[in-house]
Order: sequence, then C-alpha cells, then structure tokens
Amino acid sequence: MLKNAIAKSMMRSPWIYHINTGSCNGCDIELVAVLTPRYDAERFGFKLAGTPRHADIVVISGPVTSQSKDRLIRTLAQVPEPKCVVTLGSCPQSGNVFKGSYSVEAPVENFVHVDVAIAGCTVKPEAVIAGLYKAAEILEKKREAMNK
Amino acid sequence: MNFSLIGALQILFKILIFPGLLFVVVIGLFLAGIDRKLVARMQKRVGPPLRQPWFDFLKLLGKETIVPHAANKAVYLAAPVIGFTGLVVMALFIPVFGYSTFSGNGDLIVLLYLLTIPAVALIIGGSASGSPYAGIGISREMVTMMSYELPLIIILLSVARKVGGSALCFSLGQIVNWQASNGCLAFHPALIPAMLAMLLVIPAEVGTQPFDVAEAETEICEGPLIEYSGAPLAVFKLNTAMKMFIMTALFTNLFFGGVSTASLIGAGIPAIALDAVIMVLICIVVTFLSMSLIHAITARFKIEHLFKFYWTVVAGLAALSLVLVWFGL
Ligand code: SF4
Repeated sequence: MLKNAIAKSMMRSPWIYHINTGSCNGCDIELVAVLTPRYDAERFGFKLAGTPRHADIVVISGPVTSQSKDRLIRTLAQVPEPKCVVTLGSCPQSGNVFKGSYSVEAPVENFVHVDVAIAGCTVKPEAVIAGLYKAAEILEKKREAMNK
Repeated sequence: MNFSLIGALQILFKILIFPGLLFVVVIGLFLAGIDRKLVARMQKRVGPPLRQPWFDFLKLLGKETIVPHAANKAVYLAAPVIGFTGLVVMALFIPVFGYSTFSGNGDLIVLLYLLTIPAVALIIGGSASGSPYAGIGISREMVTMMSYELPLIIILLSVARKVGGSALCFSLGQIVNWQASNGCLAFHPALIPAMLAMLLVIPAEVGTQPFDVAEAETEICEGPLIEYSGAPLAVFKLNTAMKMFIMTALFTNLFFGGVSTASLIGAGIPAIALDAVIMVLICIVVTFLSMSLIHAITARFKIEHLFKFYWTVVAGLAALSLVLVWFGL
C-alpha cells in the first residue's frame, strides 16, 4: 500500500531542475513563465529545485555546446532514480538555427536518453505544462516498474 | 504489575500518538500545506492542494538515496534523525493548554535548548556532506541561529517575569494556568511588543522565505541540504513542517494560553480534544501572520541585514516589553 502511495505521489510532486546548455534564453524565460500566476504550474505540484539531487525532472534547453556536453552528462548522473529528462524547444532536438556550427553537438538524443521532447522556438507555456505533465506520468510508471 | 503495564501503555500513547509523534507530524504537514496554499492565493495563483506536503514527503521516500564520496556516511545519515528526535521530544514538552506529557519547573529552559537541536542537525548534516555550498549554508545557519536566539531569550524572560513576578516562572504549565485566571498574555499591553517580536522569531526559526538565507536555493543551491536526496531529505522536509507546528504551538501557549475549555465543560477527554482543535485554529492564524503573509510580500534578506534586523528591531521590541514588565506594568 505504501509503495502504491509513493508511486501515486511521484506524479503529484515532480521537482524540476533546469539546465541551460547554451540556449538563447528564450526557452528559459518561457519555463519561468509557467510558474507565474498566469499559468501556475505549482497547482500540479511542480517546483523548481536548486540542486540536481532534489530533482525528478531534468529540463534541458539549448543546442548543447561542446563545452556543456560533459557537464550535462555529469549533472544527469547526479540525479537520483527515478528521473525523467525533458528537452525544451527545438534546439536540443535538432540544433535549430545553430545547426552546423563547429561547437554545437545538437541532437541531444545521441548521448542522453530523452523521455519527452517539447517542440517550438520558443516553446509555448501551454506546451511546456502539457509536456511536464506527461513527464510526471512517466515518472509514476518508472516508479511502479521499480516496485516490481 | 497490571497497573504499571497500563502506565507504560499510556506513556507510549503519549509519545507516539498524542501529543507526540503522530499528532505533530500530521498537524505540521497540514500547516505546511496551508502555508503554501495561502501564499499562492495571495499571489493570485490557484496553488497546490492542501495535501501537497504529503505528496512531497512520500515522493522523496521513493527516491534513491545517494551518499556522496566526500561525505561521512554515518553522520550524514544520522543528522536528519537527530533533528527529528529533538522535535518529537520538544512536542512532548509543549502542552495542549492544560494537558501536557512532561511538565516541571524549568521546561521553558529545556525547550530553549531543544530548539537548537534541529538547527544543529542541519549544520552537522551539511558539514558531513562535504560540499562547499553546504559550507556557506552552515555559516549562514549559525548566524541565523545567533540572531533569533537573543530576542527569543528576552521574550521568554519578560513572560517569566510577568507571570512569576520577581521569582521568574519558567514553567509552561504554570504560565498557561496563570493565563486561565488572569486573561491571555496577548491582552496585557506590556507584552504586546514581545508578542510582535515572537511573531518575527517564528519564521527565522522555521526558515521560511525572507529568513531562509541558509537554504537560499537560487544562490547557494539549498545550502546544507544540497547533497541530500531520498529519505534523509524527506526527514529534513518533515522537520521543517514539524518546526512550524511546534513554534506556533509555543506561541499559542505563551500568549493565548488562557482559552482552554476545561473550565467550561470540565476536564476530560472532550475538553482535551476541543482544546487541541482550538489550538490548531490559533496555529493556523499564527502561521498566516508570521509566515505566509511575510513570505508573500518580501524578498530574501542578506545575512548581515538579517543579523542587524534581529539584534536591533526584534530584540528592541522584546527589550521594550521586558522593561515595561520589570516596572510592574
Ligand atoms: S528553441 Fe529557439 S527560443 Fe529556444 S533556445 Fe533555441 S533558439 Fe532559443
């Protein structure tokens, strides 16, 4: 019973940790907009965490520059299981306008497992909420899989 | 033989259920939920459901517990439990108006010492984690402790002087009884500055928004808690919620101790239950005034400003009360 309660609350209290890997700051602002009174993601229990150790969902924005690639992988390794990775905007998926640059490692899928990808340049706050909610549902499934 | 068994069961009930462990945990998490909801409503948000602290607690129990390489494992894992134990013991010393588990002559002084245990646990845990950010957090936590301790002592001194006269009464039970016959201390003009000072001490002790310099998540990544994850973090979060209830309950007993219903409907279980409900209601109001309201309208202090604020404004308010009380007002 306790295990079920834990799996249920996984979905109700996902804490977000945000990594900027060289984004133009557009997507970052939209992520913050999601927490403002207008969209209020806290009603689903979303909260910005200050350290990767407290995180459940890791949000990656930006096209992953060569400098930030190792740091991204190292940060993700510090997040306790179960965790979810969400990419924000078109940059991490394809490189977007930065594609072809010598210092961009874009599609992030090449070296990190991605659970949810939110598209857009910039992303819409509504899309961010929908994507994060989907990630929260995946978190619950991952926890249930750990119970078995 | 039989008699002592019942006695032992009674003590166990008091420690584990009411007014100990279970009661404090449930009411503490409830108050934490109310606080988050109130802050959200004041910012025109819908806000998380009232059960949100429960979800957070259960979720953290289900996460992996990582012990960093640089950490001292035993101390790192024991620290949250030390804080938790201190808080449960503290709960036994705080009466539900007339009803208390332990009471004696100097329980207010014992409480003063016990109050430092959760903060010390945070300091021990942070230093055991071996993170530089935790180091900054620890030094800030120590300064915060020093800042609110002085006004708190002056407040308790003025209450003790008011109730006990020149003999100084440091017994919470006697303070509550005195208020039952002489009216709540909140309505004695000499103690109103002390009450305001106490309202400002509570958020620093609990570590909520403007006074959470030690755990500032935007600048030093949650300070002492930076490396914690999983169950130990859950216990630390629970400690904060319990502290909320214990501090507001202490406030209620110190300044509104006279509203016990025992004199109206006779002492007994119904009176205790009713008292508990009244106490929780007052605690909600105190939570709103001292934590949610201040949280919603202010930004975070700098550590040196916090220190100055407590040693001048808050300590000044408390000292004003002490002087007034000493001159017999
Ligand atoms: S997707 Fe567009 S808005 Fe977002 S970081 Fe990339 S370029 Fe900026």
